[in-house]
Amino acid sequence: MAANLLEVRNLGTTFRFGQAEVQALHEVSFEARTGRVLGIVGESGSGKSLTARAIMRMLPETASVSNGEVLFESGNLLDLPEARMRSIRGSKIAMVFQDPQAALNPVKTVGWQIEEALVVHGMNKSRARARAIELLGQVGIPEPDKRIDDFPHQFSGGMRQRVVIAIAIANSAKLIIADEPTTALDVTIQAQVLRLLVDLKSRLDIGVILITHDMGVVAEICDDIVVMYGGRVVERGAVAGVFAAPQHPYTRNLLRSMPRIEGVRTARLPTIPGSTPDLSRLPSGCAFHPRCQFAEDICLREVPVLLPMAGSPEREAACHVARQNAGLPPDPDPTPSSEPLAGVRTSGSAPAILEIEDLSVTFPGGGGWLRREKPIVAVDGVSLSLRPGETLGLVGESGCGKTSLSRTIVGLNRPSSGYIRVAGEDVTDFGAEAAAHVRRTVQYVFQDPYASLNPRLSIRQILSEALEQRGLPGRQREAAARALMDMVGLDAAYLDRYPKAFSGGQRQRIGIARALAVEPRVLICDEPVSALDVSIQAQVINILADLRDRLGLGILFIAHDLSVVRHLSDRVAVMYLGRIVEIGPASDVYEHPLHPYTAVLLSSTPKPVPDPSAMQRKLVLGGDMPSPRNPPSGCRFRTRCPIGPLADPSRRICIEKDPLLVGPGEHKSACHFPDEAAGLAVQSKA
Amino acid sequence: MFGFLARRLPSVVFMLLATSVIAFLLPRLAGGDPAQTIAGADATAEQVAAIRVELGLDQPVYAQYGRWLGDLLVGDLGTSLITSRPVGQLIMARLGSTLELAIAATVLMVVLGIGLGILAGSIRKGAGRAGLDGAVSVLLATPPHVTGLILILVLGITFNLLPISGEVSVLRDPLVGISLLIMPALALALPQAAMIARLIQARMYQVRQEEFVDLAIAKGVPPRRIVLSHILRNSMGTAVVATGIRVGELLAGAVVIEAIFARNGLGLMAVDAVSSRDYQVVQIVVLGAVVIAVLVHLLSEILLAALDPRIRLQ
Repeated sequence: MAANLLEVRNLGTTFRFGQAEVQALHEVSFEARTGRVLGIVGESGSGKSLTARAIMRMLPETASVSNGEVLFESGNLLDLPEARMRSIRGSKIAMVFQDPQAALNPVKTVGWQIEEALVVHGMNKSRARARAIELLGQVGIPEPDKRIDDFPHQFSGGMRQRVVIAIAIANSAKLIIADEPTTALDVTIQAQVLRLLVDLKSRLDIGVILITHDMGVVAEICDDIVVMYGGRVVERGAVAGVFAAPQHPYTRNLLRSMPRIEGVRTARLPTIPGSTPDLSRLPSGCAFHPRCQFAEDICLREVPVLLPMAGSPEREAACHVARQNAGLPPDPDPTPSSEPLAGVRTSGSAPAILEIEDLSVTFPGGGGWLRREKPIVAVDGVSLSLRPGETLGLVGESGCGKTSLSRTIVGLNRPSSGYIRVAGEDVTDFGAEAAAHVRRTVQYVFQDPYASLNPRLSIRQILSEALEQRGLPGRQREAAARALMDMVGLDAAYLDRYPKAFSGGQRQRIGIARALAVEPRVLICDEPVSALDVSIQAQVINILADLRDRLGLGILFIAHDLSVVRHLSDRVAVMYLGRIVEIGPASDVYEHPLHPYTAVLLSSTPKPVPDPSAMQRKLVLGGDMPSPRNPPSGCRFRTRCPIGPLADPSRRICIEKDPLLVGPGEHKSACHFPDEAAGLAVQSKA
Repeated sequence: MFGFLARRLPSVVFMLLATSVIAFLLPRLAGGDPAQTIAGADATAEQVAAIRVELGLDQPVYAQYGRWLGDLLVGDLGTSLITSRPVGQLIMARLGSTLELAIAATVLMVVLGIGLGILAGSIRKGAGRAGLDGAVSVLLATPPHVTGLILILVLGITFNLLPISGEVSVLRDPLVGISLLIMPALALALPQAAMIARLIQARMYQVRQEEFVDLAIAKGVPPRRIVLSHILRNSMGTAVVATGIRVGELLAGAVVIEAIFARNGLGLMAVDAVSSRDYQVVQIVVLGAVVIAVLVHLLSEILLAALDPRIRLQ
């Protein structure tokens, strides 16, 4: 076992608001070791980022460390004078932040920003520049000597995160703290950055603390795990052990409530009831007790202490129940109704409720009236259909055109060519009558439940407005609003509250209730759960599935998370650069992908199953998605394709000929070599 | 940048044309009659009519406009209706005085505004913060003429440090010229400087919250360098935009200040021209003000692009 690099002992942090004090972190303890990745996992408000900032002594001004120590190189970081601490930041302990768009100074070149990290720790300017070029190369930026004088906005998101990582390793720091380093990135770019982090860890022999909410990321690259809830560590140990047999109910439920990309699908995701607690209003005793199926009296009264579990001294958990029973008791079957998902509700013969044919959406390129830029073709000849009671998943990375497509269906963007038919009626022109027809039939659930509800209207007003649209007389609206609340599992007593009184998951339910108010037949859900905590996602996914089955809704489900799409969808369409590259029944697409892009997406998606070699087998794409302004000739994926002309220069066909969306039966793909794509998927799984 | 200016040319020309119409119509819509002013209160209707014909005011408005615009294009600014002297000459005689005041006030505004702003944005605790915030608020709330009077009372009369009125060209006698310029320029600049300072302070607080400042702290960059290289540089855009807008206000304030400090500038001339309905002079002054505003705007756009690499001039 490697020696401890950093040891956090009994760390406590308080926030001060005027006279009031709120304890945000309680007795946080863990160790980070050289050559290992420690994952700190938790949902919003668990205190994981605060812990990182406390280690770096970068707490917000209203917060301070109340007790505990952070031992690093045989000294307590919390005792150092600020000047000494500054000489450790960036040189011995470095940090990588979540949002690479925001973490780089927009008015300085990336070279300047890397050099700064070296110069402030005493290197002279010219040596710093040489080292900066070397670092850019090391983190995989092509032509580093040319790119060094570019500004951050000239780099893509993934490239920017590489620059931030280059800054972190500039002074050969011994420990890197990465706070959600891939959360803002697309899944293929996430795979690139995670692989880079793992590579650097072993090449430079450093320790990494990875803060994340994603159990899949932990399973793939972490060696040790610390699970935080309500400002406390509730469980810690080696990743393999914790995933195999979690000893805290929160860890176990969190793992269970994650939708899986492979394996058997069950009707409903197991959920964790309630919502993540606010650090300023923690429940008494064990903070998890209101959501815990095992909670006993003692859990309400006494805070459980983090103690080694009997039989496995490397494992520690803070649970009264697990302690008393020498291990967490087995759970009652989490999926009582395990009838298969597909079945009765999808009647293949029913006429499609939504049909899209050869639809294109073009945005003008901008520029003045003396020089026009090329227009951007956001959606290029897409055909889809959706039947009542069916869920069609639409996946793809940011910029692939999935949101443009969905906005066009409801008339927020104008199609430049093609047809849209809603319940058999052609609505392509979106005249007054057609628009009214679409609004009655198709409703939209937005991604961000915080931005999509008017904060100045009560829930009753929000729902009444929608019910009025449907033409419901005033006196019937009350009953209808109550029924809607009931439908999405909210108490009708909440009708007079305002959106700010609700948590993210509850707001998303309100968004769904509002969409259902006009009794639509189609719901378009644009990333409806991506802004929600993992333990809340499952609740919303289940509600959508229930409503679909009860009301026979057709759902167009747009998401970048392949596991979520898999759980809910009957059919799946994969988009790349404005085109559908593969479409078919969900199980076929996921198990036998016929397009290399689908195979790569599947392989890149982190799976919550610990597997030390998973990272090595992953198909990791090079580069970024080309600009939709200048799509490549022939197959649009060829510039990144692992089986295309990059791998085999003799494959001129990919450059010359645009592949058609064809295939055996309903499962179609747009690839000249579909069999090889299928092989690719098998190879990365094995 | 040359291309940028060329592309802007059509819209600038259009704007100037539109302004010329407004500048031409506004004084005529205001009522009153320059012929009556020239002829005096006792003149008969025939005398007034004769003067109108002489001045060309009997012709249709569009014809008058066409002639004025045609003359403008060949550099003839017209002749004052009241004094019968060329408007160009009238303006040149007073331009120096106003230019000196405007330049001095702008320099003070930029230096004081940005200086105070940086100070207020950097000191975030204790008595320094309270003092700065208080000073900025007081300056903001005090209009230039009040500031001017207070300056006269304190610096001019109580301590007798500076002469309180009159003017001498800085070019002729720099020392006396500048000593006469300090108070009016300060009076003009202070409220505008306070406005700029407030904007820079707010922007600096905002930039301080950005993640790249966190990254700089995590790199081990010392606080002074963080303020200079990271926060300030990203706050300057606000300063440029604010300054550009404030230059116009400054020119407007100059009218009052010139009266208080007995300076013989364009401001006073413009006020006289309006009250005597001297159309020819008013038109040129309005048009001139718009030209200055357009130039300042173009300049701040170019500066913004120089400060922020994400902005491309187009």
